[in-house]
Amino acid sequence: MGYSPGTAPEPLTDLIAEVSAELLHLREVRAEYIIFERLTCNPGNKSIDIDGVVFDVKPIVFSQIKKSERAALFICTAGPEVGEKSRRTMKEGDLLRGYVYDVIGSEAAENAADRMQEELRLAVAGEGLKITNRFSPGYCGWDVAEQHKLFSFFPDNFCGITLTESALMNPVKSVSGIIGIGRDVEYAPSQCNLCDDKNCIYRGRKAESRKPPIYW
Amino acid sequence: MDQLLEKLLTCVEFGKVDIKSPYPPAMKDQEGAFELTRHALDDGISPGEILEEALIPAMSRVGQKFSRNEIFVPQMLMAAKAMNSSMIHLRPYYLTGETKRRGTFIIGTVTGDLHDIGKNLVAMMIEGGGWEIIDLGVDVSTEKFIEAAEKHPGAVIGLSALLTTTMENMRKSVAELRQRFPGQKILVGGAPVTADFCRKIGADFYSPDPQGAVEYLKTLT
Repeated sequence: MGYSPGTAPEPLTDLIAEVSAELLHLREVRAEYIIFERLTCNPGNKSIDIDGVVFDVKPIVFSQIKKSERAALFICTAGPEVGEKSRRTMKEGDLLRGYVYDVIGSEAAENAADRMQEELRLAVAGEGLKITNRFSPGYCGWDVAEQHKLFSFFPDNFCGITLTESALMNPVKSVSGIIGIGRDVEYAPSQCNLCDDKNCIYRGRKAESRKPPIYW
Repeated sequence: MDQLLEKLLTCVEFGKVDIKSPYPPAMKDQEGAFELTRHALDDGISPGEILEEALIPAMSRVGQKFSRNEIFVPQMLMAAKAMNSSMIHLRPYYLTGETKRRGTFIIGTVTGDLHDIGKNLVAMMIEGGGWEIIDLGVDVSTEKFIEAAEKHPGAVIGLSALLTTTMENMRKSVAELRQRFPGQKILVGGAPVTADFCRKIGADFYSPDPQGAVEYLKTLT
């Protein structure tokens, strides 16, 4: 939410604790990945070919994935409940509580992705392989419309996630993307150094005293 | 400024809703925006004065602090809650027409896009700027924007999009609104939207944050 540790106003910390306790029962959090052995990287047009599907990932993502021998495509979700609660609560007029649901929902989806990523790292480590950061359509210059190509690899309604025509995932608190796997790939501890998108909602999100930008 | 209005301004700025609200701690057990607005009206201060001298300046301070990264979204929302508690007393005066708003602002997230948090924040800050808000919600078709514009002549329209894929829908909506209502004032915003895109699609104004939209609207009144 932008606060440095210990600086959030009192009613907010209480509300976060209350909403977190309420959401502890969330059982719809899911995360899955599929590893693909056939991966071709095309330096000419900075694209990646997975099983005949060409992803136009653009230079930033390409530079991180290009040394990969395999790729994992993933989708994760916090489920529909938290997003619905946020929307309903806001509609009822309690904007602050609705906002807290929204932020916790985003964190739940990202945490699911973190755990999935760690499981993937451990799964391939035995073979002497490493993984890259995760990259999602809509970020680092990769067009969000490519989400449709990514979803073509998963069965319909996989993890309960569907995609709208405009490439929006439903439930909204979901994350999808690609992770490169290989002997020579690197994990960048500070991913934002790779990208110059000043408007990215994830930019500096882990840095102290930075607020997430507000888009309307 | 009247002391009561000054106190009310402070309550709204810092999110002190009513006497029961424990926040901010320095104002614990003191009357909040709800009670002070009632007292102001009872003392003969007009709803217009309350709005112009307390609520609007309070929300303006909040918007400016947010633009300077001095406060974050939750504090804006707390301020809005305090303002809304004050509005409970003022709304009847708007309904009877005794007090006028600065104008009407129609807002919605464009077709295909379901994001609403940013749109809600902008709506809230513009309401705090003295405007009546017609919130069309999310996934709003061009037809719905047109219907709302017909129903509220003279209203300003704000369109929001959070996906690059739905920016195209924003372009279409703006083009059609322009064709139907050539003089229509149109604001656009959202993560992928830029001032350059705003210019290219023929909208009047782009702001990366709510306060920018509030400031622009001030220039229209």
